[in-house]
Amino acid sequence: MRPILLQGHERALTQVKYNADGDLIFSVSKDHVVCAWYSHNGERLGTYHGHQGALWTVDVHPSSALLATGGADNTMRLWEVKTGRLLHTWEFATSIKRVEFSPDGRQLLGVTEKRSGHLSTIVVYEIDPDVDAEQTDEQSLRIVCDESKATVAGFSYGAKYIIAGHEDGTVSQYDAKTGELLLNITVHEPDMQITDLQWSADRTYFITASKDKTAKLVTTNDLEILKSYTTDTPLNSAAITPVKDYVILGGGQAAMDVTTTSARQGKFEARFYHKIFMEEIGRVRGHFGPLNYVAIHPKGTGYCSGGEDGYVRVHHFDKPYFDFMYEVEREQANL
Amino acid sequence: MATFQGRTDWAEEEDEDSVQLPQQTITKNKDGTETITTWSIRDDGKKVKTTRRIKKTVVKQVVNPRVAERKHWSKFGLEKAKPAGPQTDTTSIAENISFRPMANWKASAEDKSETDKKKNNLKDAKIKCRICSGDHWTTKCPFKDTMAPEGEAATSAEMNDEPEAAGGLGAGGSSYVPPHLRGRGGAGEKMGGKYERDDLATLRVTNVSEFAEEQDLRDMFSRFGHVTRVFLAKDRETGRAKGFAFVSYADRTDAAKACEKMDGYGFGHLILRVEFAKKST
Repeated sequence: MRPILLQGHERALTQVKYNADGDLIFSVSKDHVVCAWYSHNGERLGTYHGHQGALWTVDVHPSSALLATGGADNTMRLWEVKTGRLLHTWEFATSIKRVEFSPDGRQLLGVTEKRSGHLSTIVVYEIDPDVDAEQTDEQSLRIVCDESKATVAGFSYGAKYIIAGHEDGTVSQYDAKTGELLLNITVHEPDMQITDLQWSADRTYFITASKDKTAKLVTTNDLEILKSYTTDTPLNSAAITPVKDYVILGGGQAAMDVTTTSARQGKFEARFYHKIFMEEIGRVRGHFGPLNYVAIHPKGTGYCSGGEDGYVRVHHFDKPYFDFMYEVEREQANL
Repeated sequence: MATFQGRTDWAEEEDEDSVQLPQQTITKNKDGTETITTWSIRDDGKKVKTTRRIKKTVVKQVVNPRVAERKHWSKFGLEKAKPAGPQTDTTSIAENISFRPMANWKASAEDKSETDKKKNNLKDAKIKCRICSGDHWTTKCPFKDTMAPEGEAATSAEMNDEPEAAGGLGAGGSSYVPPHLRGRGGAGEKMGGKYERDDLATLRVTNVSEFAEEQDLRDMFSRFGHVTRVFLAKDRETGRAKGFAFVSYADRTDAAKACEKMDGYGFGHLILRVEFAKKST
């Protein structure tokens, strides 16, 4: 496996995303620029300019025509993927920590930070998937998180629920129509921030990563913890692989402690766990800093990781990855 | 090739050479491969014939039309007007990583590191008896009951040593000047030349067994620090040790430590006497 190294950013990566077909990768970093890349060879398609602050989040529309970003300049922006044209800007009182399109691409969700008297909120906008259409400024839904601020959020299958991860280690389930809080479960250690939430392919369950060094597989419907993956380092990201039953966890020493740790001790590796047996099956080294985000190719043929070191590493899995099976799995397959 | 008569300029003759090379030939083989023969001229002026056999296979790949369309998008932003294909300033290929998922990966990885550690430890430290400095554990030493371990031996030997020195045996209480007092006699002496640095960290070891080898001494003394030189005086005819040796350390503090510890150390049925080497005059 020869990773492709993408060096388009000057500062730490915050999120990387594949589009629905997996041919494009979008990366955002603290250097205010969004980059689009071809995943198969690492060629940069272009950059999106306009943000005035560090970028925290990016998401691409299921049609791969629109791109949403959010950052520390208190704006959420919508871009045309093909040309890099800025289509719309939504302004807020605080920075945007997470954006996500609904599975049908009709809604866009944003998570705002809690700061200076403003509570953390989850806002939802109706989106017109047409590139040239005028986008609305009217929020179709606004959920205020008064208990603990939301750090991550996303739409469940069919945009039925909005699932949010909080700073205090809880996960809550909101009705995506009314914004009513349906469930709130402490999934991770209390007061350990949930750093990432990524969906399975069908969005009936998801994985959360937390600073408490674990990642959990949780069902969408009743927030039941299915599996738990324990590591030895704070986690920043977790992803579920299609095709094979693995999960990829990324993390490492907190960014502020990085200078005092060597690359070896820092545990800056992507860790692969078996999704069902919850056992670590391998690691991929390469980054010099903690992994801030891992994204998996929608077809499960590769993954990419964005690190605090400013690099995106794109990996295309080779044969041993697909061949590996536990004894039990092999028996099952041979039946 | 053809228009040779029109040429009058001799400077262009060189170009002519390369033109006169045989044309590239492509022959189709029976097994479906092609042989391509090309001619070229190397830097040293020799003609080179290159024969390549290639096999062409058609690989059909079904590409999602959306993906195929996106592959031909023109670049924008910072990449605007850049040629197609990955640019070297933003994209590079990292070194190969072998990634092979394994059941109970953790256990195997830990095992490996553990054994590695042990191996390293063994590499660094030899097993050495503290009593007789043989290559076995101290508890297994055959002299365990008859001899005291090194540290105690040193102190007891020191006590023995004092009266001995007073009795005038050896060089005790003689003209030895401790290093920090050296050079007081005159500034000139300080500039002692090439041995100056050596002397500061060199120990003179006397009462060495005549069966001793340089390696034995090196092993014994390198416990205290990096030994730069060991010199064991040997009889030219018999090849046996004469009974004294010099051991130089890289660091003076190591030498001091070794001097303190090894003085009175029992080695090969004799008790070593260790002191800082005297200035060579």
